[in-house]
This record gives sequence, structure tokens and C-alpha cells, in this order.
Amino acid sequence: MGKYVLKSLLQIIPVLFIVSLIVFILVRVTGDPVALMLPETATAEDRAVLTQALGLDQPLYTQYVKFLGSAIQGDFGQSFRYNQPALELVLERLPASFELAVAAMFFAVLMAVPLGVISAVKRNTFTDLIISGISVIGKAMPNFWMGIMLILLFSVMLGVLPVSGRGGLSHLILPAFTLGVGLAAQMTRLIRSSMLEILNQDYIRTARSKGLGRMVVIVKHAFRNGLIPVVTIMSLQFTSLIGGTLITETVFSWPGLGQLLVVAVNTHDMAIVQAAVFVIAVIVVVTNILTDVAYRLLDPRIKYD
Amino acid sequence: MKKRQWTGMWITLLAIVMVLSACGGKTTSTNDGSATEGTGSGSASTTLTVAAATDIESFDPHNNNNTSSEAVLVNVFDYLIKNDSEQKKVAGLATSWDQVDDTTWRFKLREGVTFHNGDPFTSADVKYTLERVAKDETLKQYSYFKNIVEVKVVDDYTVDIITDGPDPLLLNRLSKMGAGILPAKYIADNGFDAFLKQPVGTGPYKFSKWTKDDRVELVKNESYFDGEPKWNEVVFRVIPEASTRVSELLAGGVDVASSIPSTDIARIEGEADKKIVKAPIQRVLQLIFRQTEGSITADPKVREAIDLAIDKQGIVDSIAGGAGIVTRTSVTPGNFGADPSLYKTSLYDQEKAKQLLQEAGYAEGEAEMTISVSAQYKEQAEVVAAMLEQAGFKINLDVLEASAFSERYSSKSFKEIFMIGIGNSLFDASNNYNRYMLEEAKGESDYNNPEVEKLLQSALVNMDPAAREKEYQQVQQIFSEERPAVYLYQMEGVYGTNAKVNFAPRSDEMFYADEITPVAQ
Repeated sequence: MGKYVLKSLLQIIPVLFIVSLIVFILVRVTGDPVALMLPETATAEDRAVLTQALGLDQPLYTQYVKFLGSAIQGDFGQSFRYNQPALELVLERLPASFELAVAAMFFAVLMAVPLGVISAVKRNTFTDLIISGISVIGKAMPNFWMGIMLILLFSVMLGVLPVSGRGGLSHLILPAFTLGVGLAAQMTRLIRSSMLEILNQDYIRTARSKGLGRMVVIVKHAFRNGLIPVVTIMSLQFTSLIGGTLITETVFSWPGLGQLLVVAVNTHDMAIVQAAVFVIAVIVVVTNILTDVAYRLLDPRIKYD
Repeated sequence: MKKRQWTGMWITLLAIVMVLSACGGKTTSTNDGSATEGTGSGSASTTLTVAAATDIESFDPHNNNNTSSEAVLVNVFDYLIKNDSEQKKVAGLATSWDQVDDTTWRFKLREGVTFHNGDPFTSADVKYTLERVAKDETLKQYSYFKNIVEVKVVDDYTVDIITDGPDPLLLNRLSKMGAGILPAKYIADNGFDAFLKQPVGTGPYKFSKWTKDDRVELVKNESYFDGEPKWNEVVFRVIPEASTRVSELLAGGVDVASSIPSTDIARIEGEADKKIVKAPIQRVLQLIFRQTEGSITADPKVREAIDLAIDKQGIVDSIAGGAGIVTRTSVTPGNFGADPSLYKTSLYDQEKAKQLLQEAGYAEGEAEMTISVSAQYKEQAEVVAAMLEQAGFKINLDVLEASAFSERYSSKSFKEIFMIGIGNSLFDASNNYNRYMLEEAKGESDYNNPEVEKLLQSALVNMDPAAREKEYQQVQQIFSEERPAVYLYQMEGVYGTNAKVNFAPRSDEMFYADEITPVAQ
């Protein structure tokens, strides 16, 4: 186990190297930050001066070697827009994104686990049909539309929850719910099918025939094994929640990584884009390792050595 | 074995507990967010909350280049000279100013002013501030200030500002972002990074807190030289999504919301305690033509046909929700050099446009051209294209994402026409016309008129305001005939406010908190 974790950690290095190369090139072929930094009335001379001052006149490979050299030391350059170290800006945003992702995940689990289990246990009944229907709608509803509708209902009409911004728990409810619903729908379906499969296994029948109660069998024997695919989807979704909640963060003016990235892309703030993608890549890789560890704890038969 | 079985359950439970505690912890620690909701009623109206679509870039007034940054920063930093709401120059940190010779201006500074940290404001601060922005070419405001050669300290409250040549725009430069006066001693003692974390100015409001892409919080400067500020606290919130901004206004979370989309105007006006207020801003939407030989738009008849084929008022009414003023010049009132005879008027005659196109030798659908536009003006461009097609043109619409547009713009690689909204932060006609000077026009419009060139070159250094104004008005008259560009309309800023505040928006889009007043209850 320890050896596995160590090996995985070492594999991060080439992955991050490739990520850095791709981002570096993409960011540079898609536009010129100087054009966005200067006023419309700036002259060609002003542009040349700024280009040189930022080191953008040097050949790409020189820029890349320089970039990589400093990136290894945790320096992803200065943000053009904020004139502050890019990594610092990205790390400043992580808590907000993390908070939202965890809360969304919490909502999703809270909804999906009981619904998925009930739906499997009562398969092909009216209850199952209703739950399946709800999850199809939940999955199909676009995030931004649902966010706006929730704001209209709970904030504008009822006035019980704040519209936007980050503050206390009350600010968290609507964006977390918005993000959680789609995820919950997906997890409900997954838990249902995974539970169904398990409920048909021999060992469940054995457990039942031993005279164990229905609830005990479902909770202790079936549910735990049914969790494995859920852990997979949770880890996949968690990483996308951290880096990819752009729309929801924008709708609710949530000052997280997603919003930072959107603004950085729009203003061509290269250093931030690079640092943000890098940090997200690290989170993805680490989450994957943790997922594998969780599998092993859930099912001792899984071995990696 | 039993123990092993339980491990998984424990992990699951632990995860749930962690999630719960992560959420729960937040409740107690940061429940201050709701404190800024609304302004309450009666004597509690001491917080002003304004919502804008974009955040400030930083508290460095020299390294910012967007209006929404300046709108916030004017409350923290003062200029030597201020623009009042009619764009007239009034005393700020300077009480008087005189021109000594063609390249020297002398400023008398206000005495007894202190920075927010208690340091006195003197000539040394002016010297430090202006020389920084005039010499550091990596600053975004550098291009506006580079012609200042030196700031000479005459005594503690007198400075001479020396330019590299006659500069009729010096006063305009000193009353805009980039001229916000910084505390020289504070920065020398603590370094610039410390200044950015805890900025200090002389303005009516002091820095309190900045959460990026969320809010800027300012508090009253009790010892402001111009009397006690009106609000105890001013909060600028960043809400990029327009529908969320509108919802915040409707829910009472903000007092003033800027950039209200035209589709939401009726909804806000329908609320009893909400209002829509509008004001023209310094931005004119226009089509700029390439007149390079061989280009179809080099033909004056074609350009006239384009002008006549577009129903400008129609675009204002349909796309801008009425928030626009048609104009035949980009130098609108409030800017130096404006020619009012060309304002609030437009030409539109589809039949004559068709006829002109025929005279120019093009049959229906033969006059083919590309219009490039940034995605933010996509709808306007689509209507323009439809109107031109109706008059017999064939239009290729080239809608570009904002940064792609800027890049093509700065590399001057547009085809026949590009559509752009051009602002004017200096409030001077030179800002509108420098692009038509021979050197600058090369490769972009290739506009070339020796008479205009002479007028523009002269106006650039003419220190006689009356004569200079004439020169720009002459250029406008020539332009209205020659049409190097067709002007669609001057844009208007649309704001939503709640009835608890009086807010008259400014044409420069600044939010001077003290110009927004609570309604007496």
C-alpha cells in the first residue's frame, strides 16, 4: 500500500510536466495579452515597449525554459491584471471552491444515497418510477437556469436566502444545491443499478437465508459493496467541482477558482491560467490516488502491488 | 474479520462528519456576509452597496486600465484636479494652477490634507506619484503620462510639472486614473506590496477589505479635507452575471446596480421601490472603414451608402432598449472639441443608399464586405448587417471573442470594416482622432487627408483652447462628409437603484459615493 502511494506520487512529475507544456503553448497561441492591457488609443510604440518589458518578445522555447525553471520553485509568474504572484491568487481562491465543492457533494450524497437504495430495493414499483423520473429531470436541468430560478424563488420572491456572494452558511445553500442536484441525479442512478446487481448476488441470498433481517442485509452487506462505484463517481465529480464550477460560480458571484479562471481567460492573464490549470491537475492526480486507497479500504480484494 | 468490515463504514461516517463540520464551522466564523444586505431603514442607512459587473484590478491607480476600477478608486485616492459631474475641471488636491510657459505648469497644493495613515500630503507625494507613472513603462497608465519629464518641488505646497513639449491635455491627464496621488513616505517605508495590501490615499473613504471578485469594502475617512463623508461604509460588490445583479437589486441586497440589460428595464421599473436611471457614457459605437486602395470601402459613395442604409434610431430602440443617443460625431458633448450641430442627429435613407450603390457601379449583392466585431456587440452587428443587405450589400459577419478581437485590432488586420465602441477617458477630441493621423492610420484605415493631418497635428500642441476647439470642429465637419467612420450611437449607462438613494449617474461612469445620497425618510 505504502509502496503504491509512493509510486503514484512519483508518477505525478511527468504528468505535471506534460500539463505545463500543453498549457504554456495553448495560452500563447490564443492571443496577445498586451493588446488587452493597453487602452484603445495606445500606439504601436507603446505596445512594443510593454511586450519587451513583459519578456513576450523572446522566442517561445526561451520563455518556456524560464517558465519551467521558476514554476519548479512555485513561481508561476505575476498576474498581469492583479500584478501579484499567480499561484498566490489561485491558492487564495481554493478555500472558496473547496467549500462549495464539499457542500455540493454533501447535498448530493444526502439526496442520492437514500433515493438510490430505496429505488433499488423497490425496483419496478411506482416509487422507483418517481425517483427515476426526478433524477432524469435533475440531470437534464442546466445549472445556470436552475441557479437563476432558485434565486428568483428563494431570494427575490420569498426573501429567505441571499442572492449571491460568499458569506455564511446561508450564502452556501443555493449554489451548493444547484451544483449538487445534477450530481445527485447521476449518483442515484448509479447506486440503484449497483445495488440491484448486488442484491441478486448469492451471498445476499445466503445472508437472508441465515435469517438476518432485511434491513441488516441491505445496510451491512449490500450497501457497502454498492459504495465502490459511488466512490469513483465522487472522486471524479469532486475534481470537476473544484475546477469546473464556472457557470455556477458566475451565477452566484461565488469568488472561487472557476470565476478566477473565467476572468483570467477573458483578460488573457496567462500566469493565472497556467497556475490554475496546474493546481487543478495536482488536485486531480492526488484525488485519484486517494480514490484508489479508498477502494482498497472498502474492498480488501483489490490489490495494486 | 469483523473489524475489517467496519472500516469502510467508519470511513464513510467520518467523511460525512467532516463534511458536516466543514459546513457548520463556516456559520459561526463568517456570518458577516449578510450584514451588508440592504441599507436598512431610517438611521441605519449608513452603508451604501453598489454592484458592478467587473472587479477592480488592484489598488494601484497607475496600473489599472478599466473604468470600473477607477469608479471605485476615486473614493480612496484624490487627483490634483477633479472633473465635476459636467466634466468641468475643479480644484482637488491642487487649489490653483497656472501655465508658466509652453511646457511648464505650476500647481498650488491644498494645505492641511492628510493621508489615511496620518502622514501630511505635500509636494513630495506629487513628485513621487507622477514621476512613477511617467517613467515606469510597465504600468498600464504609462502611455497617458509618459510626456511628463519632471515634477519640480518648488516648496512644500508648490510644484512645477514639466512636459516634453506643449501638452494641451495635461489637465485632462491629471484628472484621471493614473494621477491618483499616492503616499510617498508610506510606500518608501513599507514597500509597494505592503501598500497594495493596505492602500492609503487622501480620499473620502478608507480601505477596509478587498475580497477579489467578491467585494471591496471602504469606510468613512473622518478627517477628509472636504467635510465629513456621507456614508459610514461603502461596499462595491462584483456580480458578473447580469440577471444575478438584477435579482440582488430586487431582493434589496444592493442599492445601485450598474449595466442593467435592456431586457430587464421593464421588470425593474415595475417594482414600486425600484428605479431605472440612465446617463450617456463616453462611448460611441461605430463602424471604421478601410480606405486602402482597392478596398471597396475606399469609394466615398459606398461609405455614404452604408451610412444611409443604417437606421441608427432603430438599433437604439430595438437592441439597446432605448439607451442610446444617435450622433454623427464621436466627440460628444462634455468632451473638448465637440460640435453640437452633429449630435442627436443621424441620416437614414434606404432608397438613396440603393441608388448610391448603383452609381458606385455595384449591382445587388455585388458589394461584398466583411464586418469584424467583438462578441459583446454581436446583436448590433447582426442588425447592421441585415440593414445593409436590405440595401443591396453582401455582408460577411465576423464575430470575434473579445481577446481575439483586441489582438486583430492591435495588429491592424481587419478587412473592410470593423465595429467598435470607443471610449474617451481624457474627454478630449484628440482621443477620437489620433487614429486618423497618417502614421497611426497606416495599415488600419489608411485614411489620408493632408488638410485633416495639418489640423490634427496643430491641435496636438496648440495651447490656445479656443483655436484648438475650432480645429477639432473643422475636422468633424470634414469627417461628416468624408465618413472615415459611420457613427451608430452614443451609449448610455443603465443603472437600477432602490428608492432609498438618489443617484444621478455620471457620463464618466465614476461612482463618487458622496454624490449618491440617502433619501430623507
